[in-house]
Amino acid sequence: MNRPKAPLSILVVEDEFIIAMDIEMMIEDAGHQVLAVASSLQDVMALPADKAPDVALVDMQLARGSTGLQVNSAIQKQWPDTIVVFVTANPKKIPDDFDGAHGVIAKPFSSAGFVAALKYLEEGVCDPPPVSPEPGSFVASPSFAAQWGVSPEGR
Amino acid sequence: MDEREDWHLTEALHHEQGRGDPFAAAVRATRMSMVITDPNLPDNPIVFANDAFQRLSGYDRSEIIGRNCRFMQGPHTDLDSIAQIREAVGKGTDISIDILNYRKDGTSFWNGLYLSPVRNDDGTIRFFFASQLDVTDRVDVQSRMAREKSRVEAEVTRRVAELRDSLDAQRLLLHEVDHRVKNNMTMIGSILRLQLREAADSDTAEMLRAMMTRIDALATVHRHLYQADDVTRFDIGSYAVNLASDLTQSRADCDIRIRADLGRAEVPAGQAAAIGLIVNEILTHMIRPENAEAGQVFDISSRTTPARVELSIGFGPAEMAVRGADPVYSPSGVNEQIISRLAAQTRTRVAWSRTDQGSIQVTVVIDKENS
Repeated sequence: MNRPKAPLSILVVEDEFIIAMDIEMMIEDAGHQVLAVASSLQDVMALPADKAPDVALVDMQLARGSTGLQVNSAIQKQWPDTIVVFVTANPKKIPDDFDGAHGVIAKPFSSAGFVAALKYLEEGVCDPPPVSPEPGSFVASPSFAAQWGVSPEGR
Repeated sequence: MDEREDWHLTEALHHEQGRGDPFAAAVRATRMSMVITDPNLPDNPIVFANDAFQRLSGYDRSEIIGRNCRFMQGPHTDLDSIAQIREAVGKGTDISIDILNYRKDGTSFWNGLYLSPVRNDDGTIRFFFASQLDVTDRVDVQSRMAREKSRVEAEVTRRVAELRDSLDAQRLLLHEVDHRVKNNMTMIGSILRLQLREAADSDTAEMLRAMMTRIDALATVHRHLYQADDVTRFDIGSYAVNLASDLTQSRADCDIRIRADLGRAEVPAGQAAAIGLIVNEILTHMIRPENAEAGQVFDISSRTTPARVELSIGFGPAEMAVRGADPVYSPSGVNEQIISRLAAQTRTRVAWSRTDQGSIQVTVVIDKENS
């Protein structure tokens, strides 16, 4: 399997401008690249299809009445290898099987929590399984955790 | 009523007992309403009715004799009950049934009817004997109770549905408010981080960073608050471990292990922010760069006793390490003020001691009486 290498190319889907900018900068501070910032499903659909992001960080409530779940399905169809992580204040809205997405970072995230989640994700994507313990800020989907041989409730 | 005519009617029944028979006299005089019908005549007419029946029905004997009993029925008489009586007569069996009958003046009453065939020696049915009892009161009470019961049941169902609706609405509202608070907390964090990048000198950056860390701690409190099903309680043990892991993992320069031994340690949600900040001040003070050498392990434990909720945070060298300089614990300035003032506000006791191994041991004790 062809695993992505750092720096990761990351798509940010977030309709709150300030939060999007903050996430963008934290990603760059961590040494990764922001492929694009999208605020709605329509924005995501308008992106060039030939450039697949390694990771997509997806908010749940998006602009123009679209949702993170819709974006997740669109991404899985367009770029099946992209790792989708929800970033949401409403983690209870995520279905138990994550609809095929890979994990969630709960809002409000702390700087420390977000950076730790990003680091853990990088380890899990580039060279699984991750060596760091799963941070409290990140929860992997049951199937993603299973790929790493990590039990979902293990902290 | 003419006595002689009475006797004549009694004799017309062909019963074996003769005139002046005490049984016949008893039937005529009893308060129990009784009639006898003759199924061998066309349409099974009434051939005898006692005085009590006349009083009950309001009809004179002359209006009764020769007619089928159905003249007692009226508009609200239950058709099913009529069918049951007809079936009993047809089969020659007895029947006991409550049926709505009508008096001559049009008023209705519940008739507790008992009907049975009278057979002669060879078993053929000679008569039907019927007794009537006004059971209106009993039936009324029964039907009133049944009506009342179904009314109460309907009311209970309605109120339960109302309560469920209002509970759903409240849950939705709580969810919405929670969602907005979290979004705003995220936004505050983002604004501070953006500002931090603009900081020109290291003092400003240090101040913003300290602020940032406190806002982050509050964000973590909020994340924990509504994760549990019970939104009124806040577990300080799992919060402390989460915060410690966030703080240690974000720093490239420190590699601190966390050992947790968590028992249930819940405080009321109203105290969550204050106690959450206290824990944050303790942890961030412990992992200052000065302690980088001496502190390698966090030991976090929590428990609940009948009177208190206790959180203990140990910080020091790993067991096998060669003992060097001990970690220093001496909060001052805003750090110290936040701890002492928020502790006073929440009636929490924060104390620290040094263990034999040189570790720092800080205990946070919250009395339950005020929780």
